[in-house]
Amino acid sequence: MGTEKADILVGIASFNNAGTIGHVVKAVDAGLLKYFPDKKAIIVNSDGGSKDGTTDIVKTATHDHDAIFLSHPVYPAHRISIPYNGIPGKGSAFRALFRKVVDIQADACCVVDADLRSITPEWIELLLSPVIQKGFDFVAPLYSRHKFDGTITNSIVYPVTRALYGKRIRQPIGGEFGFSGKMADFYVSQDVWESHVARFGIDIWMTTEAIVNDFKVCQTFLGAKIHDPKDPGSDLADMLLQVVATLFNMTERHYDKWMDQKGSSDVPTFGFRYHVGLESVKVNAEKMLNIFMAGLKDLRNIWMDIMGPGDLGRIESLGSLTGGSFRFPAGLWSDVVYDYAIAYHRKVMSPEHLIRSIVPLYLGKTASFVLEAENMEQEGAEAEIEKLCLEFESKKDYLVTNWK
Amino acid sequence: MDNFMELLLHSLRAFGITILQFVPNLLAMLIIFIAGYLFSRLIKLLFLRVFRIINFDSWCDKAGLTAIIRKGDIWSKPSDVFGGLIYWFLIILFLVIGLSALRLQTIDNLISQFFLYIPRAFSALVILIAGYIFAGFISRAVLITAVNSGYHYAKILAEAVRLLLIVLILAMALEQLRIAPGIVIAAFSIVFGGIILALAIAFGVGGIDAAKRIINGGEGRPVSPESKDKKKNNEKERDAEYF
Repeated sequence: MGTEKADILVGIASFNNAGTIGHVVKAVDAGLLKYFPDKKAIIVNSDGGSKDGTTDIVKTATHDHDAIFLSHPVYPAHRISIPYNGIPGKGSAFRALFRKVVDIQADACCVVDADLRSITPEWIELLLSPVIQKGFDFVAPLYSRHKFDGTITNSIVYPVTRALYGKRIRQPIGGEFGFSGKMADFYVSQDVWESHVARFGIDIWMTTEAIVNDFKVCQTFLGAKIHDPKDPGSDLADMLLQVVATLFNMTERHYDKWMDQKGSSDVPTFGFRYHVGLESVKVNAEKMLNIFMAGLKDLRNIWMDIMGPGDLGRIESLGSLTGGSFRFPAGLWSDVVYDYAIAYHRKVMSPEHLIRSIVPLYLGKTASFVLEAENMEQEGAEAEIEKLCLEFESKKDYLVTNWK
Repeated sequence: MDNFMELLLHSLRAFGITILQFVPNLLAMLIIFIAGYLFSRLIKLLFLRVFRIINFDSWCDKAGLTAIIRKGDIWSKPSDVFGGLIYWFLIILFLVIGLSALRLQTIDNLISQFFLYIPRAFSALVILIAGYIFAGFISRAVLITAVNSGYHYAKILAEAVRLLLIVLILAMALEQLRIAPGIVIAAFSIVFGGIILALAIAFGVGGIDAAKRIINGGEGRPVSPESKDKKKNNEKERDAEYF
């Protein structure tokens, strides 16, 4: 039985997303019909064994085509649900999608999260057109997000990726991506599927590999990203571990690519940027500060092994700042992150302990940002993130010098 | 009188023969000692060189072995300490082999006991070293997890876990060495059982509500719409904290 070929594949990785996946499938279907009516497309749901009927919804979700497409009759794209093998996680689900892209010899592919509430048909056009019409290999998303949302992106992943590889991809772990068949072929041939890449490390891995292997990269503005709250049963510190461990692994693997890189430059950006009303996000800065202070009291010896007396002394001096006056300077934060990258490289301790020990520092930095940006507009908060990125870029020599 | 002289001469002859028979054994022992001493020094130098090539000292720093040595008030480099251990082990081994060359029944018995004990001593040493590293690893994991969860007594909890594991490891090592095994097992059972009992009582007294909720599958307390909203907000907060 031969594999049927298609021009476009849209992948949706899911696990118990019955509440939202119907809307996602409808939006994808409408997007394909509206913007790529002459292309043969397939929607593939890579499911991690949902028990809530997610896969049934993928097959049955329909919308009123006549209401959307007034001028011509259209037919929905073919849909399939495939289970994946390997370590349970988003990365393994993506691997199954990459394989499918290669099997059906698709020219372009995009992946979207199954828990999205704000996805529209236009997202499909915005993620696929740069690949189909402009020849790009990798399309990263660009969203409007609340100033307190996506703090791991803002305080670690974006500044480090930008400083190391010199590309200003604002949402390197956004979750939605477009890519070419060539890019999928590259991804599937890599031997990383027993690592954190098989879980939440997949996003930063995809972005970094696309940059360092000289694929044509760009970003596209999708508007606001609103998704379901994360599963409260899952340990969010595990996500931090998987993302940061993959980020540091990439740093380790691609030393020769980032060592000589100075400064950073914009990547081509598509989509019409507009102001979006955003859902407010509540953060408990006091709780974060308490964990930072607990770390200061109890993790001193571990931090000493990682940062040494100089930076640890500067961290300890923050302990005297209380409440609203607490500030974690951007320069100190960049030094801390680089200290951690160096300690990871030197194998100072078990990688898991090392990365988990950054959590109180990260929460301290996040609390500082929340207090500082409390009364700022979105633009002001973004300007603070820009300052932080420039700190990471200007202090990169510290990382290069101490790497060997 | 002749008989007496003959008896005396016979004894002296027998002694002379014994001495003549013993002297080669003695010489063999001395040669083994000297050769063993030289061999031990050579092996020590060889090990020190290998340790230096593989950066053994730095590995010991990372694995926490240096810290263990320092706690024993030993301030030499780990490579010197392990080189010294190998050296003295070989010296003792050659001493034992040398003494066996004397072919004395009492010494032979002691030597056979010594050799029978070596595997046990080695196993105990391995249990102690691996156990100490394992206890440190688990204790550190507990400390980091507890701090990240905002637990106030993180350090005390981590130290308690370390202590518990060290007690377990010491009991295993002593049992391996066959040092008063009955007392060791009884003492360990009492200490370990006491700790578990204390924890069970503490949980029973202090965590009666939590236990009720667990037994009832999280339905021990009615959830008001307000607390549902609060939970939703917390989810949102956590969501914002990380991604």
